[in-house]
Amino acid sequence: MKFKEIQFTDRNAERVYNNYINNIKNVTKPLSHIDREEILMEFNSHIFESLQKHKTDSELDTLLNAIDKLGAPEIVLKPLIADKLLEKATKTFNPIDVFKALALNITNGFSYIIFGILYLFLGGGIFLIFAKLINGDKVGIYAKEGQIQVVGMVSDYNGYQEISGSWFIPIMLLSIIVLYFLITLLLRFKKSINKK
Amino acid sequence: MKNKFLEKWKSQVKKGTLSFIVLNAISKKELYGYELIEIIKETTAIEIAEGTLYPLMNRLKNDGLATSKWVEQESGIPRKYYAITYDGKETLKLMQSYWTELETSIKKITNYEI
Repeated sequence: MKFKEIQFTDRNAERVYNNYINNIKNVTKPLSHIDREEILMEFNSHIFESLQKHKTDSELDTLLNAIDKLGAPEIVLKPLIADKLLEKATKTFNPIDVFKALALNITNGFSYIIFGILYLFLGGGIFLIFAKLINGDKVGIYAKEGQIQVVGMVSDYNGYQEISGSWFIPIMLLSIIVLYFLITLLLRFKKSINKK
Repeated sequence: MKNKFLEKWKSQVKKGTLSFIVLNAISKKELYGYELIEIIKETTAIEIAEGTLYPLMNRLKNDGLATSKWVEQESGIPRKYYAITYDGKETLKLMQSYWTELETSIKKITNYEI
Protein backbone atom coordinates (compact mmCIF):
# COMPACT_ATOMS: atom_id res chain seq x y z
CA MET A 1 0.00 0.00 0.00
CA LYS A 2 1.22 3.46 -0.86
CA PHE A 3 0.62 7.00 0.25
CA LYS A 4 -2.00 8.68 -1.90
CA GLU A 5 -2.49 12.42 -1.87
CA ILE A 6 -5.91 13.83 -1.00
CA GLN A 7 -7.48 15.88 -3.81
CA PHE A 8 -8.80 19.34 -2.96
CA THR A 9 -10.97 21.71 -4.93
CA ASP A 10 -9.87 24.73 -2.89
CA ARG A 11 -6.35 25.84 -3.94
CA ASN A 12 -5.58 27.30 -0.52
CA ALA A 13 -6.59 24.08 1.21
CA GLU A 14 -4.29 22.21 -1.17
CA ARG A 15 -1.39 24.50 -0.26
CA VAL A 16 -1.97 24.09 3.47
CA TYR A 17 -2.24 20.32 3.01
CA ASN A 18 0.95 20.10 0.97
CA ASN A 19 2.80 22.14 3.59
CA TYR A 20 1.68 19.85 6.37
CA ILE A 21 2.54 16.69 4.42
CA ASN A 22 5.98 18.08 3.56
CA ASN A 23 6.47 18.91 7.20
CA ILE A 24 5.77 15.27 8.15
CA LYS A 25 8.16 14.10 5.42
CA ASN A 26 10.91 16.37 6.77
CA VAL A 27 10.42 15.38 10.39
CA THR A 28 10.48 11.66 9.56
CA LYS A 29 13.56 11.88 7.32
CA PRO A 30 15.83 9.97 9.73
CA LEU A 31 13.49 6.93 9.67
CA SER A 32 13.43 4.00 7.27
CA HIS A 33 11.31 4.27 4.13
CA ILE A 34 8.67 1.86 5.49
CA ASP A 35 8.28 3.73 8.79
CA ARG A 36 8.06 7.09 7.00
CA GLU A 37 5.39 5.82 4.65
CA GLU A 38 3.47 4.30 7.55
CA ILE A 39 3.37 7.57 9.52
CA LEU A 40 2.53 9.60 6.44
CA MET A 41 -0.33 7.26 5.51
CA GLU A 42 -1.69 7.27 9.04
CA PHE A 43 -1.80 11.07 9.32
CA ASN A 44 -3.13 11.32 5.78
CA SER A 45 -5.92 8.89 6.63
CA HIS A 46 -6.75 10.95 9.73
CA ILE A 47 -7.04 14.14 7.67
CA PHE A 48 -9.11 12.37 5.02
CA GLU A 49 -11.56 10.89 7.54
CA SER A 50 -11.92 14.28 9.18
CA LEU A 51 -12.75 15.87 5.80
CA GLN A 52 -15.30 13.13 5.10
CA LYS A 53 -16.97 13.66 8.46
CA HIS A 54 -17.35 17.41 7.91
CA LYS A 55 -18.24 17.41 4.23
CA THR A 56 -20.69 20.27 4.58
CA ASP A 57 -18.12 22.69 6.04
CA SER A 58 -15.57 24.51 3.92
CA GLU A 59 -12.57 22.39 2.90
CA LEU A 60 -10.07 24.90 4.24
CA ASP A 61 -11.80 25.26 7.62
CA THR A 62 -12.07 21.51 8.13
CA LEU A 63 -8.49 20.97 7.06
CA LEU A 64 -7.16 23.70 9.36
CA ASN A 65 -9.22 22.27 12.18
CA ALA A 66 -7.91 18.74 11.58
CA ILE A 67 -4.29 19.88 11.35
CA ASP A 68 -4.68 22.02 14.44
CA LYS A 69 -6.00 19.09 16.44
CA LEU A 70 -3.35 16.72 15.13
CA GLY A 71 -0.63 19.09 16.26
CA ALA A 72 2.74 20.07 14.80
CA PRO A 73 4.51 16.95 13.46
CA GLU A 74 7.83 17.91 15.04
CA ILE A 75 6.19 17.90 18.48
CA VAL A 76 3.63 15.09 18.36
CA LEU A 77 5.83 12.70 16.39
CA LYS A 78 8.89 13.16 18.61
CA PRO A 79 8.27 10.10 20.84
CA LEU A 80 7.41 7.94 17.84
CA ILE A 81 10.53 9.03 15.96
CA ALA A 82 12.66 8.49 19.08
CA ASP A 83 11.33 4.90 19.36
CA LYS A 84 11.62 4.06 15.67
CA LEU A 85 15.06 5.62 15.31
CA LEU A 86 16.37 3.59 18.22
CA GLU A 87 14.97 0.46 16.55
CA LYS A 88 16.70 1.40 13.30
CA ALA A 89 20.00 2.40 14.94
CA THR A 90 20.39 -0.86 16.83
CA LYS A 91 19.67 -2.79 13.64
CA THR A 92 21.93 -0.90 11.23
CA PHE A 93 24.72 -0.03 13.71
CA ASN A 94 25.09 3.20 11.75
CA PRO A 95 26.90 5.69 14.07
CA ILE A 96 24.87 8.63 12.71
CA ASP A 97 21.59 6.82 13.51
CA VAL A 98 22.92 5.86 16.95
CA PHE A 99 23.90 9.46 17.66
CA LYS A 100 20.52 10.82 16.53
CA ALA A 101 18.58 8.12 18.43
CA LEU A 102 20.47 8.85 21.64
CA ALA A 103 20.01 12.60 21.25
CA LEU A 104 16.24 12.10 20.91
CA ASN A 105 16.02 9.58 23.76
CA ILE A 106 18.31 11.28 26.24
CA THR A 107 15.34 12.67 28.18
CA ASN A 108 13.61 9.26 28.25
CA GLY A 109 15.59 7.72 31.07
CA PHE A 110 18.81 7.69 32.99
CA SER A 111 20.13 4.65 31.10
CA TYR A 112 20.35 6.66 27.88
CA ILE A 113 22.66 9.12 29.63
CA ILE A 114 24.88 6.17 30.60
CA PHE A 115 24.90 5.01 26.97
CA GLY A 116 25.79 8.55 25.93
CA ILE A 117 28.77 8.49 28.29
CA LEU A 118 29.86 5.08 26.98
CA TYR A 119 29.84 6.35 23.40
CA LEU A 120 31.70 9.49 24.52
CA PHE A 121 34.34 7.19 25.96
CA LEU A 122 34.79 5.77 22.44
CA GLY A 123 35.20 9.36 21.25
CA GLY A 124 38.13 9.56 23.66
CA GLY A 125 39.68 6.59 21.84
CA ILE A 126 39.34 8.37 18.50
CA PHE A 127 40.95 11.45 20.05
CA LEU A 128 43.92 9.32 21.11
CA ILE A 129 44.39 8.07 17.54
CA PHE A 130 44.64 11.66 16.33
CA ALA A 131 46.91 12.51 19.24
CA LYS A 132 49.17 9.63 18.20
CA LEU A 133 49.29 10.92 14.62
CA ILE A 134 50.28 14.40 15.80
CA ASN A 135 52.40 13.59 18.84
CA GLY A 136 53.56 10.10 17.92
CA ASP A 137 56.35 9.51 20.43
CA LYS A 138 54.38 10.61 23.48
CA VAL A 139 51.12 8.69 23.03
CA GLY A 140 50.93 4.96 23.57
CA ILE A 141 50.12 2.11 25.91
CA TYR A 142 52.39 2.37 28.93
CA ALA A 143 53.23 -0.46 31.30
CA LYS A 144 55.00 -0.49 34.62
CA GLU A 145 56.26 -3.69 36.23
CA GLY A 146 54.59 -5.80 33.53
CA GLN A 147 51.11 -4.28 33.98
CA ILE A 148 49.32 -1.82 31.69
CA GLN A 149 48.94 1.45 33.58
CA VAL A 150 48.11 4.13 31.03
CA VAL A 151 46.54 4.34 27.58
CA GLY A 152 47.38 7.81 26.33
CA MET A 153 50.08 10.15 27.63
CA VAL A 154 52.05 10.20 30.87
CA SER A 155 53.68 13.29 32.32
CA ASP A 156 56.66 11.45 33.73
CA TYR A 157 58.00 8.50 31.72
CA ASN A 158 60.25 7.27 34.50
CA GLY A 159 59.76 3.55 34.94
CA TYR A 160 57.13 3.32 32.19
CA GLN A 161 57.59 1.30 29.09
CA GLU A 162 55.63 1.84 25.88
CA ILE A 163 54.48 -1.58 24.71
CA SER A 164 52.29 -1.04 21.64
CA GLY A 165 54.87 0.52 19.30
CA SER A 166 53.53 0.94 15.80
CA TRP A 167 50.51 -1.21 16.73
CA PHE A 168 48.93 1.58 18.78
CA ILE A 169 46.56 2.84 16.07
CA PRO A 170 45.43 -0.64 14.87
CA ILE A 171 44.87 -1.76 18.49
CA MET A 172 42.87 1.37 19.30
CA LEU A 173 40.84 1.13 16.09
CA LEU A 174 39.97 -2.50 16.71
CA SER A 175 39.08 -1.83 20.36
CA ILE A 176 36.84 1.07 19.37
CA ILE A 177 35.03 -1.02 16.74
CA VAL A 178 34.56 -4.00 19.07
CA LEU A 179 33.40 -1.76 21.95
CA TYR A 180 31.08 0.15 19.61
CA PHE A 181 29.39 -3.10 18.58
CA LEU A 182 29.18 -4.29 22.18
CA ILE A 183 27.63 -1.03 23.45
CA THR A 184 25.16 -0.96 20.55
CA LEU A 185 24.22 -4.60 21.19
CA LEU A 186 23.69 -3.68 24.84
CA LEU A 187 21.45 -0.84 23.69
CA ARG A 188 19.46 -3.27 21.57
CA PHE A 189 19.22 -5.66 24.52
CA LYS A 190 18.01 -2.83 26.76
CA LYS A 191 15.37 -1.89 24.22
CA SER A 192 14.10 -5.48 23.96
CA ILE A 193 13.87 -5.67 27.78
CA ASN A 194 11.77 -2.51 27.73
CA LYS A 195 9.37 -4.24 25.36
CA LYS A 196 8.77 -7.15 27.74
CA MET B 1 -2.12 29.64 40.76
CA LYS B 2 -4.65 27.04 41.91
CA ASN B 3 -5.97 26.60 38.39
CA LYS B 4 -2.49 26.14 37.02
CA PHE B 5 -1.94 23.32 39.47
CA LEU B 6 -5.29 21.78 38.59
CA GLU B 7 -4.61 21.97 34.85
CA LYS B 8 -1.22 20.33 35.29
CA TRP B 9 -2.73 17.57 37.42
CA LYS B 10 -5.53 16.98 34.92
CA SER B 11 -3.08 16.69 32.07
CA GLN B 12 -0.99 14.20 34.06
CA VAL B 13 -4.07 12.09 34.84
CA LYS B 14 -5.11 12.16 31.18
CA LYS B 15 -1.65 11.12 30.06
CA GLY B 16 -1.58 8.32 32.57
CA THR B 17 -4.99 6.93 31.71
CA LEU B 18 -4.94 7.31 27.93
CA SER B 19 -3.54 3.83 27.27
CA PHE B 20 -6.19 2.38 29.63
CA ILE B 21 -8.92 4.25 27.75
CA VAL B 22 -7.57 3.19 24.34
CA LEU B 23 -7.30 -0.48 25.33
CA ASN B 24 -10.85 -0.37 26.66
CA ALA B 25 -12.09 1.08 23.38
CA ILE B 26 -10.33 -1.38 21.07
CA SER B 27 -11.33 -4.31 23.29
CA LYS B 28 -14.92 -3.82 22.11
CA LYS B 29 -14.15 -3.76 18.37
CA GLU B 30 -11.42 -3.03 15.84
CA LEU B 31 -11.14 0.71 15.30
CA TYR B 32 -9.21 3.00 12.97
CA GLY B 33 -7.34 6.02 14.34
CA TYR B 34 -9.85 8.76 13.60
CA GLU B 35 -12.77 6.64 14.82
CA LEU B 36 -10.89 5.81 18.01
CA ILE B 37 -10.30 9.49 18.75
CA GLU B 38 -13.94 10.33 18.08
CA ILE B 39 -15.08 7.60 20.49
CA ILE B 40 -12.66 8.80 23.18
CA LYS B 41 -13.91 12.35 22.76
CA GLU B 42 -17.57 11.34 22.86
CA THR B 43 -17.38 9.03 25.84
CA THR B 44 -14.79 10.68 28.05
CA ALA B 45 -14.92 14.36 27.06
CA ILE B 46 -11.13 14.23 27.03
CA GLU B 47 -9.58 16.58 24.50
CA ILE B 48 -6.25 15.13 23.44
CA ALA B 49 -3.71 16.42 20.96
CA GLU B 50 -4.87 13.93 18.36
CA GLY B 51 -1.41 13.42 16.91
CA THR B 52 -0.18 12.02 20.24
CA LEU B 53 -2.48 9.03 19.84
CA TYR B 54 -0.36 7.54 17.05
CA PRO B 55 2.91 7.35 19.03
CA LEU B 56 0.87 5.77 21.84
CA MET B 57 -0.57 3.16 19.45
CA ASN B 58 2.95 2.35 18.29
CA ARG B 59 4.02 1.80 21.93
CA LEU B 60 1.03 -0.50 22.54
CA LYS B 61 2.01 -2.46 19.44
CA ASN B 62 5.64 -2.69 20.54
CA ASP B 63 4.49 -3.92 23.93
CA GLY B 64 2.42 -6.62 22.22
CA LEU B 65 -0.88 -5.26 23.56
CA ALA B 66 -2.32 -4.21 20.19
CA THR B 67 -1.98 -5.09 16.52
CA SER B 68 -2.79 -3.13 13.42
CA LYS B 69 -3.65 -3.76 9.79
CA TRP B 70 -4.23 -1.53 6.79
CA VAL B 71 -7.57 -1.98 5.07
CA GLU B 72 -8.08 -0.67 1.53
CA GLN B 73 -11.00 1.72 1.04
CA GLU B 74 -12.94 2.67 -2.07
CA SER B 75 -11.63 6.22 -1.69
CA GLY B 76 -8.09 4.93 -2.27
CA ILE B 77 -7.03 6.20 1.16
CA PRO B 78 -6.72 3.12 3.37
CA ARG B 79 -7.59 2.95 7.05
CA LYS B 80 -5.37 1.46 9.70
CA TYR B 81 -7.42 -0.67 12.09
CA TYR B 82 -6.23 -1.42 15.61
CA ALA B 83 -7.22 -4.52 17.55
CA ILE B 84 -6.41 -5.75 21.04
CA THR B 85 -4.26 -8.87 21.42
CA TYR B 86 -4.63 -11.70 23.92
CA ASP B 87 -1.89 -10.11 26.07
CA GLY B 88 -3.70 -6.80 25.72
CA LYS B 89 -6.94 -8.32 27.02
CA GLU B 90 -5.16 -9.89 29.98
CA THR B 91 -3.38 -6.61 30.80
CA LEU B 92 -6.64 -4.72 30.46
CA LYS B 93 -8.28 -7.03 33.04
CA LEU B 94 -5.47 -6.28 35.48
CA MET B 95 -5.72 -2.57 34.73
CA GLN B 96 -9.47 -2.65 35.36
CA SER B 97 -9.12 -4.35 38.73
CA TYR B 98 -6.37 -1.91 39.70
CA TRP B 99 -8.63 0.95 38.67
CA THR B 100 -11.43 -0.34 40.91
CA GLU B 101 -8.96 -0.72 43.76
CA LEU B 102 -7.78 2.84 43.26
CA GLU B 103 -11.34 4.12 43.16
CA THR B 104 -12.16 2.38 46.44
CA SER B 105 -9.04 3.79 48.08
CA ILE B 106 -9.86 7.30 46.93
CA LYS B 107 -13.43 6.98 48.20
CA LYS B 108 -12.11 5.72 51.52
CA ILE B 109 -9.74 8.62 51.99
CA THR B 110 -12.38 11.15 50.93
CA ASN B 111 -14.90 9.80 53.43
CA TYR B 112 -12.39 9.24 56.20
CA GLU B 113 -13.18 11.19 59.35
CA ILE B 114 -10.16 12.55 61.12
